[in-house]
Amino acid sequence: MRWTRRDLRSLGVGLVYLAPALFIFVVFVFIPLGRTFYLSLFHTRVTGATSSFAGLDHYIDLLTSETFRSGLTATGLFAVYTVPIGIILGLVLAVLLNQRLRAINVFRTMMASTIAISAAVGALIWLLLFSPSLGLLNYVLSLVGIRGPEWLIQPTIAIIAVSITTIWLTLGTNIIVLLAGLQGIPEEIYEAARLDGARGARMFTRITVPMVSPSLFFLLVVDTIAVLQAFTQIHLLTRGGPVDATRTIVYGIYLDAFQNFQFGFASAESVVLFTLVLVLTIIQFRFVERRVHYQ
Amino acid sequence: MRKFAALALGLSMVAAACGGGGPGGGGGGTDLSAQAPGKDVKPAAKIVWWHAMTGLNSDAVNKMVAAYNKSQNNITVEAVFQGTYDDLLSKLNTALASNAAPAIAQVFDIGQRYMYDSKEVLPMQAFIDRDKFDTSDFEPAVLNYYKYQDKLQSMPFNASSSILYYNKDAFKEVGLDPEKPPTTFSEVTEYAKKLTKKDASGQTVRYGFGPSIYGWFFEQWMAVSGQLYADNGNGRDDRATKVVYNNAAGKAILDWWKAGLDGGYFNNPGIDNPGSQNAFNAGKNAMYVESTAQMRNHINNAKFPVGTGFFPRPDNKPKDGGNIIGGASLYIMKSRPPAEQQAAWEFVKYAMSPLTQAQWQADTGYYPIRKSAYNEAPSKEWATKYPQFLTAVNQIREAPQNRMTNGAVLGVFSQARARTQKMIESVLLGQATSQQALDAAVAEVNDAIDKYNKANK
Amino acid sequence: MSTVAMQQRTQRLPYRKAGTYLTLALVSVLVAFPLLLALSYSFMSESEIATFPPPVLPARPTFDNYGRVLATIPIGRYLLNSFVVSSVVVIGQLVTASLAAYAFSFLVFRGRQLLFFLFLSTLMIPWEATIIPNYMTIRSLGWLDTYQGLAVPFLATAFGTFLLRQAFLQIPRELWDAARIDGATTFRFLRDVVIPLSRPALGTVAIYGFLSTYNQYFWPLLVTNQTLMRTTQVGIAQLRFEETLRWGLVMAGVIMVAAPTLALLVLGQRQLIRGLTAGAVKG
Repeated sequence: MRWTRRDLRSLGVGLVYLAPALFIFVVFVFIPLGRTFYLSLFHTRVTGATSSFAGLDHYIDLLTSETFRSGLTATGLFAVYTVPIGIILGLVLAVLLNQRLRAINVFRTMMASTIAISAAVGALIWLLLFSPSLGLLNYVLSLVGIRGPEWLIQPTIAIIAVSITTIWLTLGTNIIVLLAGLQGIPEEIYEAARLDGARGARMFTRITVPMVSPSLFFLLVVDTIAVLQAFTQIHLLTRGGPVDATRTIVYGIYLDAFQNFQFGFASAESVVLFTLVLVLTIIQFRFVERRVHYQ
Repeated sequence: MRKFAALALGLSMVAAACGGGGPGGGGGGTDLSAQAPGKDVKPAAKIVWWHAMTGLNSDAVNKMVAAYNKSQNNITVEAVFQGTYDDLLSKLNTALASNAAPAIAQVFDIGQRYMYDSKEVLPMQAFIDRDKFDTSDFEPAVLNYYKYQDKLQSMPFNASSSILYYNKDAFKEVGLDPEKPPTTFSEVTEYAKKLTKKDASGQTVRYGFGPSIYGWFFEQWMAVSGQLYADNGNGRDDRATKVVYNNAAGKAILDWWKAGLDGGYFNNPGIDNPGSQNAFNAGKNAMYVESTAQMRNHINNAKFPVGTGFFPRPDNKPKDGGNIIGGASLYIMKSRPPAEQQAAWEFVKYAMSPLTQAQWQADTGYYPIRKSAYNEAPSKEWATKYPQFLTAVNQIREAPQNRMTNGAVLGVFSQARARTQKMIESVLLGQATSQQALDAAVAEVNDAIDKYNKANK
Repeated sequence: MSTVAMQQRTQRLPYRKAGTYLTLALVSVLVAFPLLLALSYSFMSESEIATFPPPVLPARPTFDNYGRVLATIPIGRYLLNSFVVSSVVVIGQLVTASLAAYAFSFLVFRGRQLLFFLFLSTLMIPWEATIIPNYMTIRSLGWLDTYQGLAVPFLATAFGTFLLRQAFLQIPRELWDAARIDGATTFRFLRDVVIPLSRPALGTVAIYGFLSTYNQYFWPLLVTNQTLMRTTQVGIAQLRFEETLRWGLVMAGVIMVAAPTLALLVLGQRQLIRGLTAGAVKG
């Protein structure tokens, strides 16, 4: 299709509105990304200087490496454990909080408080809770006769422990976003539905969920991306272990770039992760956004 | 065509952003025979020192710097905290490529080879030779750790070692002599069996021994076994080309550890070092191994008398074996102007003076680099307060000085250490036999060494 | 939930109301428990924290940890720096994100979808890939140890743009058509209609932008070399012993750093409610 004058004009208007953000992104995101792609084709010295052309060597190494495959598994598990539960829990709590009651703000603040906590601090507190011999979590479990697991020591449990921490850390954001979404629902819609005889669960699935679907979709996309980029809680809780159970791709990039100083290889990993997330997001837009109800 | 032009422009921008390629390009590492600036170069009025000391130790750094700045009028040192050791090295690496490095940087023990390969260091030896600076009363173990080709690239600063901590009350309770800690693997096992205590429901309320999974301990155990960790004299005679710990000694360490865990008298706190420290303080583990830097924590916070002993070794107590020191050292950066390097050296000399060293010991719990520090008042007071501390120093002094006890120098040390931790985990979790785990770890680390050596020729 | 109807119903059913409060209280405490525990630990001595069974409330509350935080790091200065930087980032993000989200929701132009994905893709690039070149950029601009060096790279937000786009898409198209018929310019519609109607979403973007900037660690560490330009999370890191974790001290630092942001959250929520009311009246 040819570009008409009108196309160009409307694009021009659009670009005027996009320009400020675009400028920042070009300088601080896209140019660095270009450098990353460039570096991924080279062997690098410890200082990050290129030493010789590597071609696609890093990519071949990466795609044939056992560690990368187990990293994909860890990343996938982490996303599956974290994103759906985080969003559902967020929705349930947001509905609970979306009432006009005296002092409701106190409860809202308490439940959304995790948004105010940095991942580093949150992870430190959970590290203390998970501690096998001294942790409060297992102590409380033992009071009710349950022998708590060795949270950060068993590989299958460790990824769950990291997921629990992550769900907790993102809960605040999820609640706030969904609360804002719920409050955007006009009262007339509920009134009308009530006149039609809708109640309880039916009201929830027929009215509430579709009406907050833009917020839910937003969280699906953003939380997925955030999980694939999660770093701090893994760094503080497990450092990618035990036996690589929590060594997600992004954590592997950290290790290779900042601990092993293999910038070429780490750059290749970054490019692959970026591509993966991009594809995943496009899929989400293609197949999920169709179901989103915009007014 | 226009599209093409745009693309070309984009690419050139990217290339510009990548620019330069950073420092160095040719072969070799730190030039160990580099010359220090002449004695007549006037020291800079202000220099910056990057450190990674936190909490009380960071207070001690500030105290030392304040005392230095007050002691003379020519040079002001500014100490800047730069995060953990890992963070500091990342930041230094970034800064090096753009000439924003400090005059002095504190880098942890295993960053030695990295610093060498960065070619960004003015070796400490240059100043030592120029000024005939006397290092004869420095702890030999510490000097040897930081020497490469018999030359000091950096100045040792904070030194520690790993020792055994034990709960004297628990020893008494089960009829063990609280003044006689176990010294060998078998003794640790035997003591741990006695010290393990279960409640009525069969739950273990106290384990005999609870070492955390820390690669450093494995390195120490190889050294006390009188074994090399890497080839070419632990990477000291020539650049290491492979790690060599997949032998009988490595297997013995893992088998002993695994057997204790399976027997139910060792505890596995995972990689969580603070967790294992707390578990010891709370009486959950009667013995464990940790750095000497924990001494004050345990003496202040444990509700029982704390005993210290030598780091446990194999039953035959190999004569060649001994502990490796840990900690960090100070580097003077090559890219700074001579005046700053001169000032940096002045400060390093101050930091090495006996009184400063004694005060540093009293403030932090690291042991002094030089023996004469023990004659100074702060050190003497400390020794009276924490007599257990002598264990650490004696252990280091009794270690024979050879390639095994000098410790390994490796470009990929962080990676190797992380990989050994994974190896230990896979054995303790029963995912692999000790030999399989050792072989797999060695193969992977060797691969990394290969790549590193190729890229950093 | 309909507020008016809800009020009527809850007034009719006092037991139900008590039950609602009980549920809210229980769930709130559960969710906030780790934070409450941190608060409690900040008043405990190290040896008390190391006892078993794990203590929940301090037996002998002490302010020692707070005193030691004040003695170890210049926390007032760190708080000030974090506030300045975070506020600048919030203002910048609100401007750039509203403009961009407006283009992505109301304006129709070719390449819109592609540009939107370009925006979103910025979220997908691992931070490890951009942090070093960005350091070089800031350094070559001479912005190390400055507020602009800390803030400028974050003045645009794909997260915020996306969130506002979702909110703007909720605004009835009839308003847009009506405004066009009335002869309002594109920009005036944004300023007079879209922005006022989207206050809850703008509030969310502001809170989120503030807190995520406030909680940064590695970037501020990288681009500042002077203690006086450091921010709160770097301070917390300084309290953490590499080898011995002094929980009480760290938690006291955490509480001092988190208290202002929690206060902000309380205020921010009121803004969300007000924003909603305004929107409801006009809509």
